[in-house]
Amino acid sequence: MGRIIPPEDISPALRAAALQGCEESQLLMSRRSMLGITAGLFSAAFTPRFASAVGGSDPRLLVVVLRGGMDGVNAVVPHGDPSYVSQRGDIAIPKSATQPLDGFFGLNPALSAFGSMYSAKQAAAVHAVCTPLRNRSHFECQDNLESGLPGLASNPTGWLNRLLQVLPGGSPIRSHGAIQIGEAPLLLRGPAPVLGWSPTWFSHPPENITSSVTRLLKMRDAELYKALSAGLKSDELAERAGSGEGDVSGLRKAFRGAARLLAANDGPRIAVLSVGNFDTHSGQGTTDGFLWGSLHELDSGLDEFRSSGSAIWDNTVIVMATEFGRTVKVNGDDGTDHGSGTVALLAGGAVAGGKVHGDWPGLAVRNLDDDSLMPTTDLRSVFKGVLLDHLGVAPKLLDEKIFPESKAVKPLRGLVRSRAGDAMADAQVSVAPAAMRPLSAIERYRRLNAI
Amino acid sequence: MPLSAREAQRARVALQRFGLGPKPGGLARIGDDALQALKDELDTPKISAIERGSLPTYATATRVSQGDFSEMEAVRERELRARIDKHLSVDIGFVERLVMFWSNHFSMSINKDGVIRGTYGQLERDVIRKHVLGKFADMHLGVMRHPAMIRYLDNQDSIGPNSETGKAWGAGYNENLGRELLELHTLGTGGGYSEKDVTSMALLLTGWSFVRWWEIGQDWADVPDDRPGQFFFRKEWHEPGAISFMGKTYAPDGQKQAEKAMRDIARKRATAEHIAFKLVRHFITDEPTKAMVDPVANAFYKSGGDLKKTALALIGLPAAFDAPLTKIRTPYELSIAQFRALGARYRSDAMWLFYEPLRAMDNLPWERPAPDGYPDESWAWLDPDGMTIRLDTAMLAVDAYAGDFKKSAYELGKSLYGASLSDTTSDALMWTTDKRAGLTLLFMSPEFQRR
Repeated sequence: MGRIIPPEDISPALRAAALQGCEESQLLMSRRSMLGITAGLFSAAFTPRFASAVGGSDPRLLVVVLRGGMDGVNAVVPHGDPSYVSQRGDIAIPKSATQPLDGFFGLNPALSAFGSMYSAKQAAAVHAVCTPLRNRSHFECQDNLESGLPGLASNPTGWLNRLLQVLPGGSPIRSHGAIQIGEAPLLLRGPAPVLGWSPTWFSHPPENITSSVTRLLKMRDAELYKALSAGLKSDELAERAGSGEGDVSGLRKAFRGAARLLAANDGPRIAVLSVGNFDTHSGQGTTDGFLWGSLHELDSGLDEFRSSGSAIWDNTVIVMATEFGRTVKVNGDDGTDHGSGTVALLAGGAVAGGKVHGDWPGLAVRNLDDDSLMPTTDLRSVFKGVLLDHLGVAPKLLDEKIFPESKAVKPLRGLVRSRAGDAMADAQVSVAPAAMRPLSAIERYRRLNAI
Repeated sequence: MPLSAREAQRARVALQRFGLGPKPGGLARIGDDALQALKDELDTPKISAIERGSLPTYATATRVSQGDFSEMEAVRERELRARIDKHLSVDIGFVERLVMFWSNHFSMSINKDGVIRGTYGQLERDVIRKHVLGKFADMHLGVMRHPAMIRYLDNQDSIGPNSETGKAWGAGYNENLGRELLELHTLGTGGGYSEKDVTSMALLLTGWSFVRWWEIGQDWADVPDDRPGQFFFRKEWHEPGAISFMGKTYAPDGQKQAEKAMRDIARKRATAEHIAFKLVRHFITDEPTKAMVDPVANAFYKSGGDLKKTALALIGLPAAFDAPLTKIRTPYELSIAQFRALGARYRSDAMWLFYEPLRAMDNLPWERPAPDGYPDESWAWLDPDGMTIRLDTAMLAVDAYAGDFKKSAYELGKSLYGASLSDTTSDALMWTTDKRAGLTLLFMSPEFQRR
């Protein structure tokens, strides 16, 4: 095999280093780099050398995509709005059943762990948010939430992948990387390599089978062996049962795995996972039923994360966002249909909690967006606020690369305790190119062969 | 007479690299001329066809796709089962692999819309399979004229801004289909087209739509009432006048205007090169060289996109049989290979046994969320998480499908791979007397995982 020519889809600095001939980076640059880095989860080779993080903190970020379109109005309930009870009729949640958040909003009782975090000022909400695309299609609005683009785009990259691409090489986030828990989300799609771990319900083989497989692969196929060994190790770390627990749902396992992987010294710093079942078209319920069940699952996941990730809790922000909200009006099946405005939730020790942010547009018919809660905050403002203040990402990167064409969408400040953004306001940054679409293989081939 | 080690190795390449994997004794049926065996399959009459009366016609599938979800989902499952049955019925499966390649080339997701869910299988049978050894341009046009692709890439409401309707409604075009047509389906990135050509292609495609159920019988819609869900060219939506595209002017000619442009694109060198690159990458190596791509591209180019001649050029490459089997099977290919090895079939009463491993590994057929298709490169599949799921689900497959299997894992390994089974794997299988452990080991061996 000849000299490895680095692909174009990596940062110029790394590419330059590779072309200078540093063996290690040359290896990194080969097409196998994806594998090399992915397979490096928890291997010594992956232990990065990086300057200590900004301000000595080493922030963690978990992004939770709530799929299906969560009904924000019944999650963080606007009891102070005189139209709430009349609009919601049979599915209005009684004020007495909710945890008061401020004088206006009450919290759905399914979110009890989130409520305790809120009381401890470790959780917050932003109400009446929405993605920039508002066509009420699950598929397209989820794409839009994850692509971070102003509108629809076919085959884009995800905004978290672009974050990984544009961060400076020494950043702990870049060197430790991001991990997808479970399904591969668009959020992390793109040229920057990402890690993966899935909490599956499949039984693991007994020890004798696993060891005969690893023994064979060790002798016959170093690549398969290396990947399998790393995978077994991450399974072991992420799945080790807590003391005296019984059966745990897949979702709680996912949150627990995310916490343990984020807490590992040589583990990733960003994780993404998805929670489904928010498409409450019928039997939505109030203090029980469809929405209660889905919120309760989410809540037990958060609780699980807090206890399994106690070591990193103070450095953690969990952002929970959904593709759209639901109609304010109740449909014929005691459910709600696709809408627009909804709520975003934040939890974690690094959150400046105890507050419901956002401008409340009101639920009176004249204030609605068609028949849904009128969005008043662009969801990108929430993401930008977290990235700016929690991770210290420069505004120019946020406006142009991570959320392209979003200069007018200001970061929402005050969501997290850290004010890293204050120091960033005038920061001069050189903007590394971020691929809006993954560089295609044919394009790389053409460049290499000068066609 | 048993095959020599070299003949066995070549037979294994035919079955594994170009086919769907050996059935017991399959190696011997290939005989001592593996290349000829592949050619014979290409010459077999009706080799690509699925003929089953219970599967819907175009008219039925498109009508169903405008109706109930449950009906289109039932159609999808019938189509998928027929597809798998076809995979299991053929000896080698080279043509099946080509069908899978082309289906993935024109990738769509059934999750975007019922139109796709209800018709994907019919499209695959009546367009992809029909032309898989025919002309590329016929397949391409067939796909572009199909409601599934029109809906998947949002062309159904694409309106020429200067058309009657465009002016009356102030409506415009959607460039998704035009862009992907050039970037993914034909020329490929760097294939000599400009952004302006993307716009031109989109304008050429304005009016390419299909009949929606809610338009039928509406005066304003003016759609035929006897073909719900079928392709429909809306001439009053089509951009009027001549349109210049890639240096050539296409005179106004209704639907034919775009068809002429597409036939011209299919004849371009860049298209030949893109298709050849993808074929080599899919079947032979993650890093195709010019020496591999050029002969295949020449065959495509000189034959006017004859896909049988192109396939023959591919298997005629020196690398076709000489390059080591370093690619890893996709999870879907792996499941099919397990069925074939065991002489088993999915269990109609428990389809989840088939779906769940593929869901966990992000490789459910017809569910790639992005239009670029499932990745061909090994790095996309060979990661720690993927490997542990491969291990868990190898055992699951043994538990689910090998209940009646009588042979030992060692006998099966020998029967599948003959003299090409490595001594290491052979020894390991021989020493593993437990059936469950042995078959799991065989499924995880490099012989079974690599292709």
